Amino acid sequence: MIVAERKLFEQIWESVKDLKSLLVLGCGTCVSVCQSGGEKEVGLLASELRMKSRLAGKEIKIGEATIERQCDREFFDSIKDKVNEYDAILSMACGAGVQFSAEVLEPVRVIPALNTRFIGVTVEEGIWAERCRACGNCVLRDYGGICPITICAKSLVNGPCGGSKNGKCEASQEKDCAWVLIYNRLKKQNRLDDLRRDAPIKDYTTQTHPGRYVNEAYRKPELEAQHAE
Amino acid sequence: MRQAKKLLEEIGIEPERVEMFNIGASDAVLFAKAADQMTECANRLGPSPLKKARGVSK
Repeated sequence: MIVAERKLFEQIWESVKDLKSLLVLGCGTCVSVCQSGGEKEVGLLASELRMKSRLAGKEIKIGEATIERQCDREFFDSIKDKVNEYDAILSMACGAGVQFSAEVLEPVRVIPALNTRFIGVTVEEGIWAERCRACGNCVLRDYGGICPITICAKSLVNGPCGGSKNGKCEASQEKDCAWVLIYNRLKKQNRLDDLRRDAPIKDYTTQTHPGRYVNEAYRKPELEAQHAE
Repeated sequence: MRQAKKLLEEIGIEPERVEMFNIGASDAVLFAKAADQMTECANRLGPSPLKKARGVSK
């Protein structure tokens, strides 16, 4: 999932304090799971903003809504009429959701309430960790399902650096050395010989921005040609 | 509870206005102690700033 964390309240307040009305818009998918921008968090932030505006002697009309996904056009139908009642949307989605909200709801102003951190997993309740850099050229097959691009601080693909000590990374003693993890995993799989080969040169053309992907079933040659121009 | 206190602090309300006590249903002494503690706290802090902001005098 995409993991995000809420911006500091002061930063959010600074962005919205001069508005007359505001719709706090949550996203029911990734940020809901990582407890930063789902329905519950929308309720908390909206309550905070109502109390803060009262304390600051301001009258800001604050509404709440959460849609299933802010990265999918169809889910905006349920709020399209509602947004016209507000000066701005305070989006509690990831960066993709904020941008897509601004695009779908144009010209309504959309303000982000979260900082998007990474693609990650739930390590334990309340703790999430990065697992994928979305490099566009997955090498997990070769490394026992442990990504050296993500887990190694230097993204090394041909073994550990000299800073690996007692299984930990020189960048932080709290971080495991990705290469020790990879070695141990491959050892358990009786695949240590896989480490004898040199990693092929990485194809960085897959990392050009902005990325775009069209499912084969939906490809329309003339539209793709137009997009490439 | 820690999060609730943090949320209050962020908007400028004293975090000690909210507390949680784990008290057994039959433990009247502890309940009375907790009530005393919260009463003392409310007296010390005065009316909620939100009430003041709303224009409620008492």
